[in-house]
Amino acid sequence: MTKHSSEATEKMLAELAEHALGLAARHGAQQAAASVSHVREVEVAWRDGQLERLHEAQSRGLAIEFYVDGRFASVSTSDLRREALEPLVRDGVAMTRALEPDPFRKLADPERYPDPKRALDDSDLQLSDPHYGDLTALQRREQAQALEVAARSVPGADKILSVSTSVSDSQSTVFRCDSQGFRGFRHSTSFWRSAEVSVQDPDGRRPEESDYHGARFLADVFAPELVGKSAAERALQRVGAVKLPSGQRTLLVDARAAGRLVSALLGPMSASSLQQKRSFYSGDVGQLIGSPLLDIRDDPFVVRGFASRYFDGEGMASAPRPLYQAGKVANFFVDTYYGRKLGWPATCGHASNLAWILGNADLEGLMRGVDDGLLVTGFLGGNSNATTGDFSLGIQGFAIRQGKLAEPFGEMNLAGSHLTFWQQLTALGNDPNLLSPLRTPTLVFADAAVAGA
Amino acid sequence: MTDRGLQWFAPFGVDEDLISKVLSEATARGADFADLFFEHRTVRSLGLEDGAVNRAYAGVDLGVGVRVVRGDQTGYAYSEDLSIEAVLQAARTAAAIADGSPKPRTAAFAVQPVANRYPILRPWANVATADKLPMLRELERRAFAADSRIQKVNLSFADSSGAMLVATSDGRLAFDLQPMTVLSLSCTAEHNGRRESGGYNVAARDDFSFYDPSRLDRLVNRAVERTTILFDAVPAPAGEMTVVLGAGSSGILLHEAIGHGLEADFNRKGVSIYADKLGKAIAGPLVTIVDDATLPHARGSINIDDEGNPAGCTELVVGGVLQSFLHDQISAKHYGVAPTGNGRREDFRSQPLPRMRSTYMRPGPHTRDEIIASVKNGIFCDHFANGQVQIGAGDFTFYVRSGWLIEDGKLTRPIKDVNLVGNGPKVLEQIDMVGDDLLIDEGGWTCGKDGQSVPVSQGMPSVRVGKMTVGGRG
Repeated sequence: MTKHSSEATEKMLAELAEHALGLAARHGAQQAAASVSHVREVEVAWRDGQLERLHEAQSRGLAIEFYVDGRFASVSTSDLRREALEPLVRDGVAMTRALEPDPFRKLADPERYPDPKRALDDSDLQLSDPHYGDLTALQRREQAQALEVAARSVPGADKILSVSTSVSDSQSTVFRCDSQGFRGFRHSTSFWRSAEVSVQDPDGRRPEESDYHGARFLADVFAPELVGKSAAERALQRVGAVKLPSGQRTLLVDARAAGRLVSALLGPMSASSLQQKRSFYSGDVGQLIGSPLLDIRDDPFVVRGFASRYFDGEGMASAPRPLYQAGKVANFFVDTYYGRKLGWPATCGHASNLAWILGNADLEGLMRGVDDGLLVTGFLGGNSNATTGDFSLGIQGFAIRQGKLAEPFGEMNLAGSHLTFWQQLTALGNDPNLLSPLRTPTLVFADAAVAGA
Repeated sequence: MTDRGLQWFAPFGVDEDLISKVLSEATARGADFADLFFEHRTVRSLGLEDGAVNRAYAGVDLGVGVRVVRGDQTGYAYSEDLSIEAVLQAARTAAAIADGSPKPRTAAFAVQPVANRYPILRPWANVATADKLPMLRELERRAFAADSRIQKVNLSFADSSGAMLVATSDGRLAFDLQPMTVLSLSCTAEHNGRRESGGYNVAARDDFSFYDPSRLDRLVNRAVERTTILFDAVPAPAGEMTVVLGAGSSGILLHEAIGHGLEADFNRKGVSIYADKLGKAIAGPLVTIVDDATLPHARGSINIDDEGNPAGCTELVVGGVLQSFLHDQISAKHYGVAPTGNGRREDFRSQPLPRMRSTYMRPGPHTRDEIIASVKNGIFCDHFANGQVQIGAGDFTFYVRSGWLIEDGKLTRPIKDVNLVGNGPKVLEQIDMVGDDLLIDEGGWTCGKDGQSVPVSQGMPSVRVGKMTVGGRG
């Protein structure tokens, strides 16, 4: 998309949102907020020597929040015809009036809004590639093919049953405005390349593994050759997986897999979980949860970061905040509504990019110190109880013996409680996974409870 | 076109002329097949928290998906704008998958017969917010009254009404109205300084009369019992042992251990562990498994699938022998069989894929009591949260919210929050007792695949699995 048409898109989004806000006021909403989004997405999927699927779309959507006589409701629609908006707003306001009052519902405190220029222009965060649109249909196709060719070029490729690859990109523009004067744009692009490889295991199983890479800017995405090769190597390493005995083991969770544990750790830190008593946290800043190595900061201003932003979903200005310091809780995620219910000042409702105090060693270095342990490379299902902190998760990965990677394992499980498990954190890698906003490094836990044979 | 047919176009503001022009554009580059999926869906929800019904949401989704198929290849585009210019543009985008010249297309449409598995008397559009409020307030009151340890009660209520129209380049035209409702009650209780949360939910393609007194009783009682029993729970064991699955939502085992693995797209690509098992014994003789679109008002039922094909009851495994995969139009053509009506999609933005509907095991000869009595040491589970599977390796897990230890043939102490881990074919071989008490679960299950969610049901009689890994802390 050229710069010119992107300006036309911005104008269309802003006009629509302002129109919705005007309708809400006319139908009796004392406060309202409207967001409109425009997303363009393209995906080319390739499988076993031929194009499998082309998917291309431009999508728009409108969402409105109504605050009417101390009551709250919201609506959303993909039907953006002007003649359809009027009944949507009229019915939305009527639906709000039919509810019971809620004294805690209000728009965010305008004091918390960012500098208006920053809200409208996020270009210095570099979240949107100005060259989006340069990528041609033919190039996407060639890259999808190159991913497969690379996968089939690795030693042992005769065991490969199927290779599926994908090349995708998207461009998104979101405008939010509210009746207190907030106006903000968010612009982003992203580009992804992935490959999934299935291989034949002599025991009859057909293990599959994948690799992927992506970035906000096209120039930052790893070459298809690298991603395809790595996907095939990962799949071939799964051949001959066994179920190991149950017991307490030293556990390394690799940088990519570790995000699963970390989301379960952070989820119950929201004010809604705490106020609704569905959190294993006491609600006290300073509560000791992890070993002194657990030290995480929330950093919304990472250049080209996947969760970077100048304002959150309510329009409140983003700011870096410590989440954990030396194993102790430093901040919760407090939105306006649940903050008011708890009598706490709002921070922001959700995490952005995480910044960790990293260790010095890479994955190989961390394994070197382990005589008999497990490396977890993926989780399978399972769940974590936000109220009690108990979790139980399916795991797969590799045995570690005398400091080296040994046989693959599968069909096993890890169980624990967040209230004690993070105190067993004995080391972190220097290898944050930049493909996720959680940016987790490899994590090492002592005496983890695993179940298997 | 009949009067009734014309009425079908009304929710989308389109006509037969538009549909015909768009299909011509979609097939202009020599496709084997093309279809249009029009959808108009309204969703409304209400939430009760901290003593008041104080939040509501309403959503409208309107659009069309255009699919162009050549061999195993698919071009897909969609538009939320149903003007002829916008839909023609989507058709041109999807048509890029093909690169030949147009083939003659059937000129006239034949309206497809459609079953009537979820008739409703009172459309959800005629149920006002104020009509729903008293029920939610009453349920909250009863949940607090049921046990003094209850500290928080949350309710969420949702209804949706969807209209869909499928038009295909081979001249089929099919229409369906799909209602859905879900009611969920969750609570948190405190006891001796400990806190536990639990809940129960019910869902159906039905109208407001679904919420009859006995269902509402069950909703409150189960939600409270499932929360307070957790205070008595002991740590779950770790390692391999015998597992008895109770009747009902244990059908999640079938969904993960075999259902996904039989979806024909995975088999067409040769990546499923079941790819070369058709006609072979994959389970013991007591095991018969079906995927059924026909259960009246079930959440997983459909009158037609999202490709306009008739949807019936598909026998997957009979007496332990694998009979059929779950097909959409593309895989059925690939295998040279009739579609099984499993082509489903989340909405018009997504292309259809082979998906499950209501998956369950037919009853067997044993009673629940004799199954439990047969186990010296093991666990019993009948309350689940979620599951996941690896299609090729066959490894799967499903998460037990609560269950019981079995000691010397008796349920002794409750357990909670434990994942069960198995391998599909190995676990199916281990099912050696099947109960006579088949129960289709009434819960609001949702299945995810390739980022698309669709509503499903599942059911199970009590069964014994000789050996599975139980993921406790030991």
